[in-house]
Amino acid sequence: MRRNPPRLRPRVLVGQARRVAAAHRVLLIGLALLGAVAHADPPSLRDQLRLGQALFGGEIDLEGRIYTHVVDLPASVVRCANCHAVADGPDVPRSLAPRLNHDLLLRPRSRRGGPATTYDRDRFCTLLRRGLDPASVLISVEMPRYAMDDASCAALWRYVTWNADEKQTP
Amino acid sequence: MKNRPLDLVSSLNISRRHVKYSERLLDRRRFCTAAMATVVAAVGAAVAPRLDARVVGADHGIVDPPVPLPAVAVRRADGATASLADLVRGHTTALHLMFTGCSTVCPIQGAIFERVQALLPDQLERRIQLLSLSVDPLADTPGAMRAWLRRFDARAGWTAVAPDVKDLTVLLDFFGQGGNALENHATQVNIVDRSGSLVFRTQELPSADSIANILRKV
Repeated sequence: MRRNPPRLRPRVLVGQARRVAAAHRVLLIGLALLGAVAHADPPSLRDQLRLGQALFGGEIDLEGRIYTHVVDLPASVVRCANCHAVADGPDVPRSLAPRLNHDLLLRPRSRRGGPATTYDRDRFCTLLRRGLDPASVLISVEMPRYAMDDASCAALWRYVTWNADEKQTP
Repeated sequence: MKNRPLDLVSSLNISRRHVKYSERLLDRRRFCTAAMATVVAAVGAAVAPRLDARVVGADHGIVDPPVPLPAVAVRRADGATASLADLVRGHTTALHLMFTGCSTVCPIQGAIFERVQALLPDQLERRIQLLSLSVDPLADTPGAMRAWLRRFDARAGWTAVAPDVKDLTVLLDFFGQGGNALENHATQVNIVDRSGSLVFRTQELPSADSIANILRKV
């Protein structure tokens, strides 16, 4: 009995089929991840405050540089806590940097004689990343600019405003 | 197509004399513009104040003419006493103001000098030195200064010194103190040539790369 020879598919078609299958797998994994993220609970206030405190105090490294420089500075020299403090209190010892309190962050105030402005999370993040204050004025060169993702920036904002907002109770 | 402008002129029915007149007018305007620019530049150069370290305070740029550093005694990190003028003579020096108890800009200044050393592996061959001048002579003992240098992995060619209290004002005036408080000290880097004179003053918190470039060229 004569046996039929095995069917040989052209290599091009085999390669194409594999690529399509791989693309499907990637798509499925991506959709699954997207679904997981979409259904994930937003970070709790407690988690955000912990993260913000760790970022502020330098327990988690920040990536920052002087904006005229071409490389980042070591994390130990760009900690927020090196220059700033949160909540009300005396001036930060041996520092010209302001306290991040209610008056500075949440009360509308005129900056450099312009219209009254106030910080919100996005403006706070713009200041950290680009050095522009709420009045769109470039701040001092001595304040590093930070490469910070949205979650970290939001956590830092939560931390400094939690301490700054007098109505909050810890 | 050749002589396109003339063709255009003829098509617009404009005479060659008009064209030549226009060209002469244009030449005159160019001449007048150039002459005015020259005059403005010359007047500007004559009127513009030269950067003089004795008066510029926190300004930056080339110091012309160069100004010798004040003749004051300083205490080195190794405990020895030396004349600041002797310390800088024979080297190209990058000098910044700092104090070891500073947690704000001084650590950034230290990190910048650390990178300058990394960028200048041939620093000693080039007779380049880095000098951290304390503005807090009461607290900055030789031990504190050595600890500060260790914090930034300072190698040979980078030292720290502190003046006598009585000389502090003279030095702060010379190097452009930002105010009365310690934390107000200028964060510029002062470039001193081998004769011991201040020749260049950078902007606030300059990059290590720019400092290294300047030091290579002085």
